[in-house]
Amino acid sequence: MHHGYADRLVTKAPNWHGLVALDTLFNNMTTGLFLVAALGELFAPKVFAVVARSAYPIALLLLLADLFCLVLDLGDPLRFHHMLRVFKPTSPMSLGTWCLTVYALPLTVLAALSVLPSGALEWARRPAIILGLLPALGAAVYKGVLFSTSAQPGWKDARWLGGYLASSAVMVGAAQLLLLSIATGQLVAAVALRPALVLLLLLNAVSLGLVIRDTRATLARAYDRARRGRLILVVAGGGVFAPLCLLAVAGPIPVAGAVLLIVLEALLIRTEIVRLPHLLAQTPVGGR
Amino acid sequence: MAVREQELAALASGGDPPRSSLPELLDRLVEPFHRGAPPAPQVATGFYTDTTVCIGCKACEVACKQWNQLPADGFAWIGDSYDNTGGLSATSWRHVKFIEQFPVDGSPALAGTGPDLLDPGRWLMMSDVCKHCVTAPCQQACPTGALIHTEFDNVYIQSDICNGCAYCVAACPFGVITRSALDGHAHKCTLCYDRQRDGLVPACAKACPTQSIQFGPIDQLRERARERVATLHEQGASGAYLYGDAPSATYSELHSFYLLVDRPSVYGLPDNPFNPWLRMKGDYLRAAVCALAAIAVLLPLLLAR
Repeated sequence: MHHGYADRLVTKAPNWHGLVALDTLFNNMTTGLFLVAALGELFAPKVFAVVARSAYPIALLLLLADLFCLVLDLGDPLRFHHMLRVFKPTSPMSLGTWCLTVYALPLTVLAALSVLPSGALEWARRPAIILGLLPALGAAVYKGVLFSTSAQPGWKDARWLGGYLASSAVMVGAAQLLLLSIATGQLVAAVALRPALVLLLLLNAVSLGLVIRDTRATLARAYDRARRGRLILVVAGGGVFAPLCLLAVAGPIPVAGAVLLIVLEALLIRTEIVRLPHLLAQTPVGGR
Repeated sequence: MAVREQELAALASGGDPPRSSLPELLDRLVEPFHRGAPPAPQVATGFYTDTTVCIGCKACEVACKQWNQLPADGFAWIGDSYDNTGGLSATSWRHVKFIEQFPVDGSPALAGTGPDLLDPGRWLMMSDVCKHCVTAPCQQACPTGALIHTEFDNVYIQSDICNGCAYCVAACPFGVITRSALDGHAHKCTLCYDRQRDGLVPACAKACPTQSIQFGPIDQLRERARERVATLHEQGASGAYLYGDAPSATYSELHSFYLLVDRPSVYGLPDNPFNPWLRMKGDYLRAAVCALAAIAVLLPLLLAR
């Protein structure tokens, strides 16, 4: 008996590959670094003002890398500005584009103020920080919602994907600022950030666990048991347990190692998220 | 990508005369922001596809390609009955599906009641196309405003606006829209918008020799389709039903709906289509809660210094 098209995946995987994984990572790195630095400077300026000055130019470079990936990933990159034809809150991509655009303005001001001689236009710092907070938060939040608001297998079931990527942005931001604090000799800031990063690692592991719970049926179809086991081992061991151990050790090298592992794990997870519909397109609906 | 598609790009085109680069650049930047007055709404139109009378001639596929000047996709034996198209794509906006339901080892395996039970087997054929959803996820997804509902309430991609972000591809629960490797833009059935504006019937419906594809005002089509289902039930085909003629709890009605005689998944349609936008607000809320929870963890430790 021929069952027709019943064993085929109905949906088409979008043409999103490595650039989108990188874009998601850079998005989280820039918004996270800005949010943590800005909150630190707002609420504890004596501790964080100096390291925040180093953070904003780096956040701007990460934003440019993010925008570069976003534009290059379009089917017609020369039409990137068409994104700004409409403001459409029903589309997470439209909302995200506008958030990134608005966020870029105060961030550019802050980055410029950071490299200008001390004292020049200092009055603009605080308003720029405050103006940047909401769009930065929006830019961090939209990405996961963009994936979960789709018809793609795996993504459409991942109710906590937006939550995971948003909390991951703050965690990766804290990790970067910790490394910057050590690199710039701001040890008081580093001492404050280390326990915060430990807690954020644990919180992020919980939100990742919720994503895995939501998508376990799809993951079981996409990966065989051995591959799933390896993936969980790498994510839990390399991305959570190992950084926690390294953060328990004093000194700049273990901290640098922990931050590197956190960023690599973030890239790995984003790559697997982007790959998921493509993997399933090659798998019969009945599974492996 | 098909070889023929590449060849098409190499052909000389009689487009606009060459201009200097600055005006062209300005035109590229400014033109997409120009808006014309929207046309006055017309009676909503659509397709009603009665699969019970489809004979699999593929005239609809040919007529669609011919009218819309879509290149051939090459030719491949894909080993799937008479289906050598494979699926809807950027250059195939109609796709005739073939399902051979014949018993294996001579056993009468067909499910059904009445005369169906005694059938030795059957062919199912269906001409697939964009569903022109009333609440279309592709249109909701589109960040450029390229995807619109026309005055005929059909879903249409403005090819001069689309920038190929592919979010509509990800959003479509029917796997209809495809981004072309040639121009990088998304493409799908236009429901022959150009022909409709000139008072003509879409090419596929015009070419269909059995009236399997019917075009017209959507209310009339629904009425006609319901009468047809009633007739089929009277004739003993109790499995006949309409797919997409009315909204469900999770999806809007379709302006291209079908009369089917087996489960939707057999025809390559989702059994229970779901509009992803129904969950968007909850997803935003969860994302915001997680972000604020992370900040709440961070702040006391920063303030303690």
